[in-house]
Amino acid sequence: MSGKASSSSQPSIGLSGSGALSHIYIQYPPLRCSIPESRGLHYDDGTKLLIPSTSNQIFSWKTVPFNPLATSTSDSIPEGPILSIRFSLDTKLIAIQRSSSEIQFWIRETSEAFSHRCRSDSENILGFFWTDCPLCDFVVVKNSGLDLFAYDSVAKSLDLVEMRKLNVCWYVYTHESRLVLLASGMQCRTFTGFQLSSAGIVRLPKFDMAMAKPEANSKPVLAAEDVYIVTVYGRIYCLQVDRVAMLLHSYRFYRDAVVQQGSLPIYSRKIAVSVVDNVLLVHQIDAKVVILYDIFADSRAPISAPLPLQSRGFPRSYSSSSRSSGKDGECSEVNNKIDHEGIIYGDNWTFIVPDLICDAIAASSSETPSVLEFLQRRKLEAIKAKQLCLGIARTVILERRPVSMVSKAIDVLVSSYSLSLKTGSYFKGIKTESTSSGVAKTSVARSSTDVSTSRIDGTSIRHESTAGVDSEYPSRASTFSASESEENASSAPLRTDSRDLQLGGGKVDRVNLTGAHSSGPTDNPVFVNISEQQDSELTSPAISPDEMYKFVFAAVEEEMVGDPSYLVSIIVEFLCSTNMEKIKVHPNLYVLAIQLLARNERYAELESFVTNKILEPSKEVALQLLESGRQNIQTRKLGLEMLRQLSLHHDYVSLLVQDGRYNEALRYARKYQVTTVRPALFLQAACSSNNSQHLAAVLRFFSDFIPDFRTTSDFTTYYGILNEMNTSVAATSF
Amino acid sequence: MVMVVEKGKDSDAIWRIDALRKVLKEVHSLFVMFYGSIRAMLEKDPSGGLIRSHLYPFIMDYLSDFPVGKKLQLPSFRDCLKERGTVQMLTMGREAAIEVQSLVSVLDSCAGNSSCYSMILFHDLLVSTTLSPDDTINLFTYAVLRLSPNALSSGVNSWSYIRRGSTSSHFVSGSALTHSGPVSEQIYHSSDTSPVGNNINRVTRALQHGKWYKGKDGFLVTDIWGVDVGSLVCATPTVWLQQTEEAMYLCPYQFKSLTLILLIPVSSILNGEQGVALVKQQLLENASLKILKVEEKLSKGWGGENAYHVSGYRYLLVDGDRNISRASPPGKVTTLAKESLLALSKLRDEVDLEKSRAKRDNAGCEKDLEVSIRAKNNAWAIARITGGKELYMVLEKASETLLYASDAVEKFSNRYCNGAFSLD
Repeated sequence: MSGKASSSSQPSIGLSGSGALSHIYIQYPPLRCSIPESRGLHYDDGTKLLIPSTSNQIFSWKTVPFNPLATSTSDSIPEGPILSIRFSLDTKLIAIQRSSSEIQFWIRETSEAFSHRCRSDSENILGFFWTDCPLCDFVVVKNSGLDLFAYDSVAKSLDLVEMRKLNVCWYVYTHESRLVLLASGMQCRTFTGFQLSSAGIVRLPKFDMAMAKPEANSKPVLAAEDVYIVTVYGRIYCLQVDRVAMLLHSYRFYRDAVVQQGSLPIYSRKIAVSVVDNVLLVHQIDAKVVILYDIFADSRAPISAPLPLQSRGFPRSYSSSSRSSGKDGECSEVNNKIDHEGIIYGDNWTFIVPDLICDAIAASSSETPSVLEFLQRRKLEAIKAKQLCLGIARTVILERRPVSMVSKAIDVLVSSYSLSLKTGSYFKGIKTESTSSGVAKTSVARSSTDVSTSRIDGTSIRHESTAGVDSEYPSRASTFSASESEENASSAPLRTDSRDLQLGGGKVDRVNLTGAHSSGPTDNPVFVNISEQQDSELTSPAISPDEMYKFVFAAVEEEMVGDPSYLVSIIVEFLCSTNMEKIKVHPNLYVLAIQLLARNERYAELESFVTNKILEPSKEVALQLLESGRQNIQTRKLGLEMLRQLSLHHDYVSLLVQDGRYNEALRYARKYQVTTVRPALFLQAACSSNNSQHLAAVLRFFSDFIPDFRTTSDFTTYYGILNEMNTSVAATSF
Repeated sequence: MVMVVEKGKDSDAIWRIDALRKVLKEVHSLFVMFYGSIRAMLEKDPSGGLIRSHLYPFIMDYLSDFPVGKKLQLPSFRDCLKERGTVQMLTMGREAAIEVQSLVSVLDSCAGNSSCYSMILFHDLLVSTTLSPDDTINLFTYAVLRLSPNALSSGVNSWSYIRRGSTSSHFVSGSALTHSGPVSEQIYHSSDTSPVGNNINRVTRALQHGKWYKGKDGFLVTDIWGVDVGSLVCATPTVWLQQTEEAMYLCPYQFKSLTLILLIPVSSILNGEQGVALVKQQLLENASLKILKVEEKLSKGWGGENAYHVSGYRYLLVDGDRNISRASPPGKVTTLAKESLLALSKLRDEVDLEKSRAKRDNAGCEKDLEVSIRAKNNAWAIARITGGKELYMVLEKASETLLYASDAVEKFSNRYCNGAFSLD
């Protein structure tokens, strides 16, 4: 994949063919920061600012949250050489390295400056950074060790807090890990690490990195650009490129140990590493492809086949430099080279500590359960991961993949949901939302009033299982609470109709998902329209059983053709998983299972499903049994029986009457004091039997059972009919 | 088919007609399951030689399950708390049921696109079936007679009432009924000694005792159906399904107390035994783990042979709609006095009459019925029929009032029948 091809692609690049397929996209449009006379471009990972500078001015762009139209702020500073720039974490101060022995501090509010110099001439400043460690605010890394300073805002000076003496060749630091690794030794492969975390300073044990020798007696020297600190799922790893062995070694840091984890092969002389949403991206720059690894799992196998990095929706235009980032996938590369935005992995690319988001394209990966597992671990852009998961679940069922495989996939989703319930992440979005919109929300919520109130009471978890999808898709963002009409308008389609489907590839990332599945029904994917409003609310991609029903089973059932027993098997597998995790299932799923079994005329099996309580008893289930029982009397009996066992007396008695079993109904009504069924129903039934004795018995029963029955119109009407019957009987008998 | 029963002077020879009828029906159904309809056989050989040569050994093998000691013991009044022609179900929890269902879907899809049927038994109880009710009864009966772990260990510890606690070895040791009689000997002689391959006239004795054994792979095999000439493996038995009139390969698999019976359409297997072997292998590959899991779940919940005993009660519960019955374990029934059993047997005879009358008069409408009679020994014999379900009961300790007996039934109904018999 060359830069040229990519530059000529259209916005629909993701689906135009396998040649244009990619896992990782650079967000387009990029952040453009063209500064005349720009002398240098810096990135401060502590404050996530992109900082171009001229000789006397510093511009800074916020990269998080990403907005391509973001404007910069600028600070005028004293003129002079700029080797490095870092903003303090509260962005009140700017530290500018002026030389190998001097750092100048610029106080932005007052436009004052003060300087810090090394004590002896033999000392060289290798770098510096701000920290939120309670002991100190600012750390200077020198060839003779670390100096830790506290900033005195009153005296406007740095006070030395602590010194750590050791020889340092070079160092690496990331703000995300708060870890500084100091390289020393002849080969620069002996490391001392300090973590300057909010809990204090942790000194890690000294360790050596592995390096293969090209030949005897030659000792390669490790360079700073070959070592990366990455944070994945909250764990800190160090990745080291061994250029001789063509391996990428990984080390995991524990409080008291550094453990080598294994090695990944590399296929390029030059590589770069970034982490996007906990996924390790290894850019094989010579080969111009990215390989994705999920190092949560122990497997060293890549998540997917290597595919090139692409710029999403890249049109032919140029700018001085691009900072890629944003909403749908991106990597954080900076392209310093003017006029070559279209070139991927240009020679001048600098890979900066990444912290942004990846749009993992799952479709090209073949192992569905592990893909789902992977997607369920996504924290950023949870709604997208969730939608991808739902889409994958639908697809595997529609494609009738082996039950065992679908079962594993479902297991993943269910256990992830269960986990999210335990950790509470499933409700986080909902809760923050409810607090943000507060009381206004309760008052405006129409159909889901109970849900909203319960959320404010803090009992949302209990309600969740019964409240249905309303509560899980809080459709109202805080901005809506002000206007009732607006709120209703925005949420109505969502709540009332889950089949409000968006056909085709309205969403770019959706298209990417299905791009590789170019077969069968997925070409025209059913996609549930969930407005962007909620996206920001959702913090977990976990899928509740209700959502599984609505967006997977019910949706799939509509599209499925042929033998429904496959879907029954899948439902059974789903029940297996939910039962294992002790999660309640939406009764509608049971209803669906009954419909499917009845459609196949598998009544005997349906019976065992019901008697063994695989389909848990509920009114919905009972009514569906009665409905399906129109074709099969046994099934109808099951429904009746269930109504009785659920003590739904009114329904039970009404149905008995409907079946003409009014004697039984009367007995039952007397036993359970069911007074809600109108006597007229019984009388009508008895009357239609054309048996005067029956009618008389029913009349007699109600006269005893209901105190004032004799005064009702029912009584007089049917008493009249009874008399008529008797006389006609008498007449005929003559 | 006609069954002639000689009424002896023996007091045990008090029969319930319906029970005898069920015996006849059972042997007929089993025969049809293995050989197809009798009419078709007669059409093939109008002289009746063919059908006779099949029927005789079949019925003799069938009857060999009945003797107690040296006598042929047909179901008598002592068996009035049993119902032939029904299946006995295992009661299991929801979790186990889901696991079972999951296994069933694997079994049924074992042979690719052609739909297989399956039946699962645990000990001698039915766990699951995808067959039609009639086919279920037939196959279940056969499985309990010949395939279940108890049957394989030739009834050493038999407790199911389908097997009468007799063993074939007993029986072979000599009696007028054994197949060492002159006619049968002749038939068997010719077939047993005929060389393999030349089995045109060979009569397969589907109910022959002691011919099933468990292979290394867990599948049960028998040489009753001969040996495949090419591969020298035992030929897989075939059965006819009543509902679809389809010939199916019968592949039983056993793991501990769990018996799975897989039925594969003969038409779907093109290359005979090889094809069957392939499906078997597929089953092992796909279902082994699930089988293990199901067995474990069911064993955990297994209450033993007397699991369905309710102390103080001797009962028989029949669900006529589903052809299911459950009864006090035979060992408990034997504690009842002869008078009690006689009374219930008589009562059942009456109820049978009433049922057939109701059926004749008013097809489709279910009759509810409640009869309690006091036996000579002051025991209560009770029958209740409602909504297609029947409950028969003997209460020997309830020698007080009718109210007491009625209460006892009510309690039983509420606790063990979901209140099915306590509607008012």
